[in-house]
Amino acid sequence: MSTPVLICDDSSFARKQMARALPKEWDIELSFAGNGQEALEAIHEGKADILFLDLTMPILDGYGVLEAIRAQDLPTMVIVVSGDIQPEARERVRGLGALEFIKKPITTDKINEILTAYGIIA
Amino acid sequence: MSDNELVLDEELRDVYQEVTNVAMGQAADSLARLLNVFVVLPIPNVNILEAGELQMALQSASDNESVSAVCQGFIGKGVAGEALLIFNDSSFQDIAKLMKYEGEIDDAVQLELEMDIASILIGAFLNGLAEQLDMSFSQGHPVVLGQHCDISELISSNSARWSKVLTLEINYTIKDYNINCDLLLLFSDDSIDRLNEIASYLLE
Repeated sequence: MSTPVLICDDSSFARKQMARALPKEWDIELSFAGNGQEALEAIHEGKADILFLDLTMPILDGYGVLEAIRAQDLPTMVIVVSGDIQPEARERVRGLGALEFIKKPITTDKINEILTAYGIIA
Repeated sequence: MSDNELVLDEELRDVYQEVTNVAMGQAADSLARLLNVFVVLPIPNVNILEAGELQMALQSASDNESVSAVCQGFIGKGVAGEALLIFNDSSFQDIAKLMKYEGEIDDAVQLELEMDIASILIGAFLNGLAEQLDMSFSQGHPVVLGQHCDISELISSNSARWSKVLTLEINYTIKDYNINCDLLLLFSDDSIDRLNEIASYLLE
């Protein structure tokens, strides 16, 4: 069965960049969200076993999404993809339960490395 | 885009916003490491403005406080621009503290602090921007635009020769400190078309 994957970023350019960087051979059902609120709805609909999450977004930002996921114990694995590369931002998202932190701009190699490390792809 | 058009294509705006987002993150990281603080990152503003509107946009950013500003020109691949870093004057007390400067903060000291921060923020931002656009920028020397002045005095003389300006604006604040500065990247007329061309490669 295909893995439901969600990309959440307020920039459509960034969403496309992210989608293009995903490994071609990975069998997924891909969805998109333009802000944190939309992401939470998609998670509730079961569209996000894996969530690639931006931090700086309008309406509900990435930190807010992580907090909601934790508070509601939602079933999703979160990989934060952000331009905010300050050490404190990394620590904060890890503390909120994100699995990994990838800095923008995203590369296919980095995604492969992380997905392999977590046994998500072989 | 035709010469008279003051509207930015939505797709291009989105690209500028995203590359600005990444570049401002790199610049913030450099500043965070220098001052040992956490820099709060906003959503950047991308706009095409008429020269007069630029002044209004700046005015609203400064909260009517007196400001000090540095600018630095840059050029690469047919794109010329100006980076403007505007500090609220009340920021310097805390900046001095974080830079471990002891003693009275007179105009000369303030200027030195301003230049140090400007070179880090502007340098890192331009590197980040250039890297994503697959180009490189040569930077001119930073120039002091003014100390303790009203923001309208800063640009009135400089912007008159431009009919329209593409602005990338980032308002940096620092967590737990009273530091507020605005980083503005300004691209005028001819450079906008050239930059649009370069940025549109990213959409392919």
